[in-house]
Amino acid sequence: MTLRPSVLQQVLSLGDLLDVRSFTEVCQSFAELYRVGLKVFDAAGNKLVDVKVGNADFCGYIWQKPDGRAQCIATVGRVKNDAVPEEGKPARFECFSGCRYVVQTVLYEGDALGRVVFGPFVPDDLTQLPASLTAISADFDARLAQGYMQKIRRVPQPTADKIVKHFAEILDVLVFSGHKNLVTARLHIEAVQESYRELQEKNRALEESFGKLKELDRLKSNFLATMSHELRTPLTSVIGYSEMMLEGLGGPLTPEQREYLGIIMEKGESLLQLITSILDITKIEAGRIRLVMSDVDVGQLMKDAVATVMPHARKKGITLVCDPGDLPRVQCDREKMRQCLINLVNNAVKFTPQNGTITVGADPRGDRMALFVQDTGIGISEENQKKIFETFYQVDGSSTREYGGAGLGLAIVKSFVEAHHGEVRVASRPSEGATFTVVLPVRHAAPAPVPGRPAAPSAASLPQ
Amino acid sequence: MVQFNQEHREIALKVVYYGPALSGKTTNLQALFQKIDPKVRGRLMTLDTKDDRTLFFDMMPVFFRTAGGVKVKLKLYTVPGQVMHESTRRIVLQGADGVAFVADGRRSEQAGTLAYWNNMLKNLEANGLDPKVLPMVIQANKKDLPDPRDDDMADLRTTTVKPLVVPAVAIRGEGVVETLHILLTLIYRNLDRAVGLERNWNLSEREFLQQIFSHMDLRGTRLPPPLAIPEAPR
Repeated sequence: MTLRPSVLQQVLSLGDLLDVRSFTEVCQSFAELYRVGLKVFDAAGNKLVDVKVGNADFCGYIWQKPDGRAQCIATVGRVKNDAVPEEGKPARFECFSGCRYVVQTVLYEGDALGRVVFGPFVPDDLTQLPASLTAISADFDARLAQGYMQKIRRVPQPTADKIVKHFAEILDVLVFSGHKNLVTARLHIEAVQESYRELQEKNRALEESFGKLKELDRLKSNFLATMSHELRTPLTSVIGYSEMMLEGLGGPLTPEQREYLGIIMEKGESLLQLITSILDITKIEAGRIRLVMSDVDVGQLMKDAVATVMPHARKKGITLVCDPGDLPRVQCDREKMRQCLINLVNNAVKFTPQNGTITVGADPRGDRMALFVQDTGIGISEENQKKIFETFYQVDGSSTREYGGAGLGLAIVKSFVEAHHGEVRVASRPSEGATFTVVLPVRHAAPAPVPGRPAAPSAASLPQ
Repeated sequence: MVQFNQEHREIALKVVYYGPALSGKTTNLQALFQKIDPKVRGRLMTLDTKDDRTLFFDMMPVFFRTAGGVKVKLKLYTVPGQVMHESTRRIVLQGADGVAFVADGRRSEQAGTLAYWNNMLKNLEANGLDPKVLPMVIQANKKDLPDPRDDDMADLRTTTVKPLVVPAVAIRGEGVVETLHILLTLIYRNLDRAVGLERNWNLSEREFLQQIFSHMDLRGTRLPPPLAIPEAPR
């Protein structure tokens, strides 16, 4: 990487450092004050300012004579180009006409940036027109020229030196502030350009690593899906053969064998459930979930879900209440919604202590349907309410935690519901139970097969 | 990088004062401004200051003509210390012929100083400048304050980049001239090796330093004899 050359590296000319237009105004008022002309050249000899005062008629008359014109050009050339000392007194240039110029170098930071030419003026010791002027032509009218010369100011040499010195000092301040402004402005721009370039570079690097991460994430999901599938197949055999043995297909069993096989079956089933959840979540993350839509009697769906979990609840001494009443049919994926409800009720059972109550109900709200699962369990703190829908998140993540589970149930619920353009919410306070609400559109608008990315949840505006 | 103009017999050098915010970079330049004869220096240009802190940078030119008629122009810059001016720091560092790293010599500032040092190395590299070759000096500033470091900036100096360390109290002008003196000596030797200042420009180390430091108020300053300044490790 190399930076573009900065303004700090550039050689600046007098014209760059001055605002020439306003500087011209300064020169004009200065020249009017002293009634003497003023010219400013940069180091390359370019004329930046030219103010004429009083000499127009005099010089104009001389200019009419060919010889006068030639000598005038020569004088101006000397004033403009001849070497002048950088320091000390201003240089004097005598014009053949008897007039005079003083020239001062514009010195800035040790560099000669140009010169100031003060004049022409008439030296106060000039008594008569010099022969070099009167001789330029045979028809030279000395009286006329003398008259014109009256219009040019007479200046004593020390005064002229002082004036031009004074002007050089003003110019030095102008150049300094001009330089400062120029550097400030240009460097601001350069800094912005440089920051922009740097940001672009960083953005490119970020995009690259984001792409890599996305690819890794996809690979991870693929891996999990494959692995889960490979685990599930043999597990089905484990469960199946255990079942066959329990049914006595392999011959009679002792009570101990029966007990052991029961444990194998039970643990096998819960392992299978876990693997199925992992498979679901990886499918969701890989974006491979497809909804199979149909008109579903959600009341029946709720009863089914409750029936599935009932034995488990009964064992824990929890009362399960489900009285959906008459409900409109909802267009949704029956299997996925059933699983959502089972996950929610299972969760409620898990976190509700003995003698608690779980209520599963529904609340039709126009074109939307709210299904809720309310428990009297341990509740969830506000801080954790945002996180519980994340994959693998556990409120109690310690190894000695009281409640088991892989942390997938709610993540699956959220993805499935959002695939339906629905929304899932939780309302809870610690030790006061929790209510999970699933809001679904009654009519499915369009397929939203990309879960994990929530579709616009217009349900947010629904009254609670 | 140094600019040579054979036609005009000119050499232009750039010295940059780098360092964390409030380490005393501007104070160094202000002290030099006070000490250097106005005949050989220009104005101290301080851009965008507010509450006594340099939000942008400072710049001061020093110039002289050698006996051999060569005009030497030396420009001293500071970089803005505030973190947000990263790009300006990089721009100011462009083409530097030598760097004075102004460090706050208190223990409490050690971590910040190291971060800025590394930041400088990165920005030097971005400008194509090799810290192993570039003349550099570290100024351990604020030696008068409590809690001073006594490790001689060991964490900044590695086997390949090992600049001399000059203790200083820039606010009182102490160590400021010494810092510049060592840096200019190193810069001279570096350039002499590269382009032959003595041979081709008829400019000796003695005259180079003499031209600058004879125009300086050296009261309270102790300059080491040139030979006492060791060569930078190659």
